[in-house]
Amino acid sequence: MAIVETKGLTKVYGSGETAVVALDHVDLTLDAGEFVAVMGPSGCGKSTLLNLIGGLDAPTSGTVVIDGREISTLSDDEMTRLRRERIGFVFQFFNLIPVLDASENAALPLVLNGTGAAEARRKAEEWLGRVGLGDRLRARPDQLSGGQQQRVAIARALVSEPALVLADEPTGNLDSKSSEEIASLLRQVSAEWGRAVLMVTHDPRIAAHADRIVFMRDGRVVDDTKIADAASARVAMERVGLL
Amino acid sequence: MSIALRLAWRYLSGRKLRTALTTLAIVFGVMLIFGLNGVLPGMRDAMQRMMLAAIGEVDLTVTSASSAPFPAEVAQRVAEVRGVGAATPVARRTVAMPAKPDYKVTSLVVVGIDPATAYAVRPMPVADGRLLEERDDAPDAAPAAIASRATAEKMGVKVGDAIVLPSASGTTEVTLVGTIDSPAPPGSDELYVPLSLAQEMFALGDRITDVDAVFEATADRTAVERAVKDRLGDAYTIGGIATESTLAAGFDAAAAIFNVLGFFALAMGGFIILNTFRTVVAERRHDIGMLRATGASRRTILGLFLTESLLQGAIGTGLGLLAGWGFAVFVSGVLRGYIQGLMRMEDFGVVFEPQAWVLAVGLGMGVTVLAAVVPARAAARITPLDALRPQIGDVYEKAATRRAWAGLALIVVGAALLFVGSTGAMGLGCVLILVGMSLGAATAVKPITDATSRAIEAVYRSEGGVARANLQRNPGRAGATASAVMISIALVVMIFGMTSSVLGGYGEYAKRTTGTDFLLIPNNLIVSGGAVGAGPELAQRIRATDGIAAVATLRYAPAVVQGMTVQVIGIDPDEYGRIASFRWTEGSSDADLERLNRPGTVIANGNFRGQTGLGKGDTFTMMTPAGKRTFTIVGGGNDYINAKLPTVYVSQDALAELWGVTTDIMVLANAKEGADRAAVRAALEGIARDYPSFALYDSAEWQKVTDNLFAQLRATYTTLALMLAIPSLLALLNTLAIGVLARTREIGMLRAVGATRRQVKRMVVGESLLLASVGVAAGLVAGVPLSVFVVKAITMLGLEFPYVFPWSGMAAAVAIGLAFAGLAAWYPARQAAKLDVIRALRYE
Amino acid sequence: MSVRAAILGLLAQRPRHGYELHEAFEALVGGRAVWDLKPAQVYTTLQRLEEAGLVVRTAVRRVGGPDQHVFALTEAGRAELDRWYAEGVHSSHQRDEVFLKIVLALGDEAADAEAVIRAQRATLYRDLHELTTHRSEAAHLTQAMLLDKAIMHIEADLRWLEMADARLHEMRRHAVPVLPERRRGRPRAEAGDR
Repeated sequence: MAIVETKGLTKVYGSGETAVVALDHVDLTLDAGEFVAVMGPSGCGKSTLLNLIGGLDAPTSGTVVIDGREISTLSDDEMTRLRRERIGFVFQFFNLIPVLDASENAALPLVLNGTGAAEARRKAEEWLGRVGLGDRLRARPDQLSGGQQQRVAIARALVSEPALVLADEPTGNLDSKSSEEIASLLRQVSAEWGRAVLMVTHDPRIAAHADRIVFMRDGRVVDDTKIADAASARVAMERVGLL
Repeated sequence: MSIALRLAWRYLSGRKLRTALTTLAIVFGVMLIFGLNGVLPGMRDAMQRMMLAAIGEVDLTVTSASSAPFPAEVAQRVAEVRGVGAATPVARRTVAMPAKPDYKVTSLVVVGIDPATAYAVRPMPVADGRLLEERDDAPDAAPAAIASRATAEKMGVKVGDAIVLPSASGTTEVTLVGTIDSPAPPGSDELYVPLSLAQEMFALGDRITDVDAVFEATADRTAVERAVKDRLGDAYTIGGIATESTLAAGFDAAAAIFNVLGFFALAMGGFIILNTFRTVVAERRHDIGMLRATGASRRTILGLFLTESLLQGAIGTGLGLLAGWGFAVFVSGVLRGYIQGLMRMEDFGVVFEPQAWVLAVGLGMGVTVLAAVVPARAAARITPLDALRPQIGDVYEKAATRRAWAGLALIVVGAALLFVGSTGAMGLGCVLILVGMSLGAATAVKPITDATSRAIEAVYRSEGGVARANLQRNPGRAGATASAVMISIALVVMIFGMTSSVLGGYGEYAKRTTGTDFLLIPNNLIVSGGAVGAGPELAQRIRATDGIAAVATLRYAPAVVQGMTVQVIGIDPDEYGRIASFRWTEGSSDADLERLNRPGTVIANGNFRGQTGLGKGDTFTMMTPAGKRTFTIVGGGNDYINAKLPTVYVSQDALAELWGVTTDIMVLANAKEGADRAAVRAALEGIARDYPSFALYDSAEWQKVTDNLFAQLRATYTTLALMLAIPSLLALLNTLAIGVLARTREIGMLRAVGATRRQVKRMVVGESLLLASVGVAAGLVAGVPLSVFVVKAITMLGLEFPYVFPWSGMAAAVAIGLAFAGLAAWYPARQAAKLDVIRALRYE
Repeated sequence: MSVRAAILGLLAQRPRHGYELHEAFEALVGGRAVWDLKPAQVYTTLQRLEEAGLVVRTAVRRVGGPDQHVFALTEAGRAELDRWYAEGVHSSHQRDEVFLKIVLALGDEAADAEAVIRAQRATLYRDLHELTTHRSEAAHLTQAMLLDKAIMHIEADLRWLEMADARLHEMRRHAVPVLPERRRGRPRAEAGDR
C-alpha cells in the first residue's frame, strides 16, 4: 500500500530570470514498510523533496498524497495535525529541545497532541527502550552523544505511531560507527516496525541499508533502483573477491 | 498545558543572568507601584485619624455640612425624632500633643460629652475610679477627664493624675478621674471631658461638633435616618466621618502621580522584556522550527512564549511585591521621621489596599505579557523549514520604515498639540511625542549614532567603528533600549524642571506672605483640621509686647463649596495688609484687601480657583454653620501656608459672625525698627510657652525651616528621578549582555585575529555609550515639553510658578546617561574580554 | 571476459585489423604500463570470437606486404555487446571492465553510457546492501573486519563511478582517444621495447 505518492511534484524558487527549479516533475511512490534512500549531489533537490513530502513547504505544482490524503489542500493547522499524527521527522541538527530530557523530548508529539502526561511518558520510554536508550531516560541532550541524540529523535519520530518517517541526513553529523547504528535502526524501523522510511543521505554506506535508492540530479529522479535482492552476502563476498 | 509551563521554566532557568536582568525590570516597576501604594494609604489614614475624630459604635452621627460647629440644641432635635432611642451632644477635637510633657501620644482626640445623656448612647463600663458625672459639667467644677484604660496606660497616667492639654487659652489642666473598659477606636486615643469644658477649651461657645445617637431596637434604620435628615435639613450631614477631605484628595493626587511614574518604570521594563524576547525568539529559531515539524501548531508556539512571559511576569511581579513591601517599609520609615519633624502626627503603618494589589499585579503581569506579544507572534510565524537551515548570524536587520513614519506623524501631531493652549492637549502631546519617538527610535539609531560615534571614535580610534557597526546592525533592539533610556531621561528632565520651577516659586511665596519678623504657627503645619486655635489674648499679649510694631492673625474655619470642603481663613484686612501680603493674581493688588471689609466678600486662592473654576468677580454660595450664604470673590491671591489647599479669605468679623470662630491659628508679628530683637524674641518665647501647640519662629529660623523643607523636597525628587532612571540602566545592561552573548563567536574571531582584551572591552563600552547617546538625545528633546506640561498642570491647580528652563536637569540627565552607560557596560565588557578564544570560536 | 568485450566494443566503432585493435586498446587505457595486453592475446581472442560467430574476417590486400585481415562485428556480436553494456559488473573485476564499458559506450552511438553507469551503480549498491546486512549481523569482529574491507572496496568503486558519472559530459566532448598518425608497416619500435 502506498504511503506516499507524489505526482509531477515541482518546486520553483524565485521567479522570472532568477527562478531556480529545485524539483522538476518528480513522481515517487513509497509503500508501507519500505526503506528508501534519496541520494544525489548537493543542490539536486533531495531535501526539497523531503520537505514537500513532510508538508514543511508547499509545492509550486504537482501533488503529494500522504496516507491517502492530498496534503496541498490542507490548512496549516490540518497539516500540523497530520505531521503530528502520521509523520515522524529526524533531522541532522537541532533535533532536540535542549532543556527537555530524553523522555520528555521523545514524548513531545504526544504531548502536543493532547495525550495525558503519564501516558505520553510511558510510550516515550517504551520507544526509548526499543531504540536502546532505556537507561538514559532522564539525560538531557547535552549529556548524550550525537548517536544517542539521534536515537532519541528516532524514538520521538516513532512515538506517535506514524505511517511515515522522514530523515534528512540523519547521520550527517555522526562518526562512522554511530552512523552505522542509526542506519541499522532505521532499517529496523521499516523492516520490523513496518513504517515507510524516506531518508536523504550522501553516504553510500548508509544508503546501502535501504531497500531502494532514488538517485536525483538537477531536481529530477535519474534512477530508482531496488537494491535489496535475493543474493546472499556470501555471494556478494565472492563477487568482491574476498571469499 | 503543562509542557508549555515546563519548557518556559527550563528555558528561563537555563539563562540565569538574562532572566535575572529581565525579571529585575519588572521587579522594579512593580516595586515602585506597590510600595508607594502601600505607604500612601497608611499615611492618609493617619492623617485622617489625626484630623477627624473617630466615631464610636453609634448608630448615627450628625455633623454640619460645612464641618463647622453647630448649636447644641440640635441634639435635642435629633432625640425627638421617632425611632431615635437617645441622642447626645459631642464636642470633639483632635489636639496635637506637645512634646513636653511627654504623654507618648502625638495626638489625642478630646471628646466633650454630656454626662446626662452620653452613657445612654455609648455605654462606658468603669475600670477604675469613676465616670464623668453631671456635677463635673457645672460651670465651676474642677476640670475632670476619663479615658480608656489602654489610652491611660499608653499615656502613662493614673487616676488622680493631671493631664495638660493644649487649648484656646494656651493650656488647660484636667484631672483623670476614671478609666473605662471600652476599646479606643484603632489608632486614635480618646480623652473624655465634660461638654462645657471642651467648649471652653476650644472656644466653641455653646456649640458642638457632633451629635451621636442610637436607634430604638425595633426601628427601621433607613427610615429613622431619613427622618433625622428631614428634621435637620441639608445644613447637616448624617452618617460617618466626612471622608471627602481635601488632604485625602491631595493624597489621591499623589497616588495617581506615583502610579504614573510607576507605570513609566514598567513601560521601560516593557522595552527590556521586548528586547529579551526578541533575542530569545531568534535564539530558539531551530527549536521552534523543530517543534513545528513535530506537530506544534502556530497557536502552540504563541502559547509557549506567552506562557514564558506569564511565568516571567509572575516571578517578576512576585519579587516586585516583596521588594515593594520592603520599599514601603523603608520609605514610610524615612517619611515618618521627616513628617514627624514637621508636625506631630501619630505613627502610620504600611497598608496594602486591594487596589494596590490589583494595580501592581495587573500592571506587572500585563506589561510583561504585552511586551512579549510581538516577539511571540514573530515566533509563531517561523516555519518548520527554518529548523533545517543553518543559523544565520546577527546580520543587519532592516528597520521598519512604516513604523518610523507613524512615529514621525505622532511626533508632529504631539508637537502641534503642545501649542493648542489647553493643558490636557499638552499632556496628550507629550505622550504622543514619547510614543512617536519610541516608534521611530529604531530608524533614528543609525543617523544619531553616525553623529555621536564621531566623538567616541575620537577617543576609541580603533574600536569605535566596530562598536557603531555592532549597534547599528540590530536597530530594533537598539531602538527599544534607546526608548527605555529616553523615557528615563525625559522623566529626569521633567522632575528637575518641576522642582526648580515649583520650589523657586514657593520660595518667593514664602518671602512675600510669611516674611514677617516673627511667626507663631501651630506645630501642625497644616492649618486646618485638629489644630487648636488660641483665644484672642495670645495676639493681645504679643501686641502688648515691647518692641512689637504690628501683629496680624489668621483664623480658620471649614466650609463647603460645590460639595467640596474648603478652608476659610479669617484675616483682619487692615492688619494683614500692614505686615504681610498675598502674592496677588488675577490683577488684584493690596488695594483689594480693603474690600474684604464689606460683608459677603472673599479673596480666593489659586487652588480654590483651580478646583472650583471660580475667579475674581464671580459669586458663589458657601455652606456656613449659619446656613447657605452668597459670597463674591473680590480678589485672587495666595499665601505660602495655605497655597496647597483650596482656600478663601474672609474678614475676621465675618468669620466670627457666620462661623463663630474667634480663635487664632497663626500669628504674624513685626518688630519695631531699632528694637532689640533678642529681647523681643525672649519676651515672645515666654508667651509662646503658655501655648504648647504653637511654635515660634523668627524670620531667619523660618527661612531655615522653609529652606530645609525645600532641600528635603529637592533631595526627595532627585532620588525619585534617579530611581526612575534605574530601568534605563537595566535596559542598557540587558541589551549589552545579550549582544555579547549573541556575538560570542565573533568576539572569539576578533581575539583570534589580534584584538586585545582591552580593545574588546572598549568595543562594548563604546556600544553602550552610543546606545545611551541615542536615548539621552531623544530624552532631552522629549523632556522639555514634559517639564513645561507639569509646571502648567500645577498652575492649573492654582499655583502659578514662572517656568524655569531645566538646565540643571539637562546636565543631570546627560551625566546620568553617561554614568549609566559606563556602569551598564562594565559587566558585559568584562565578560567579553574574559572570553576564552578557543571556546568562543566553538560556541554555537 | 573484459578483453573479449573490449574487442567487440572496439569493432563496434568500426571494423579493424588485429594490430589496429591492439593499438586502439592501448590508446583507450593509456598504454602498456597501465594495462598490458599482449598482441597474441588479441589474435587468439579474435579467433575465438570468429568461431563463436560474433565477428567476421575479411582479407584486405595491401601494397608491398601480406594481406591483412580486417575484423567486423556480426549481429550476434552486437547483441552480445549490448548485453555486456546492460549488465552490471560485480566488484571483483569491475575496475577495468566498468572503465572499458563506459569509454566504449561513449564511442558507440548504439550504446548509452549513462545507462551503463546506472546499471553498474545498482549492481554495486545491491552488493553493498548485502554486505551491510551481513555486517550488521556479523557475530565476530574478525568477520566484520573482512566485511568492512569488502564494503570499503565497493565504496571506493562507487566513488569512482560517481566521478565518472560527473565527468561523462566532459569525456563525451573530448571523444575517445584515437591512434596517433603512424608510418605504415609493422612497428618495430614497440617490438623492440619488449
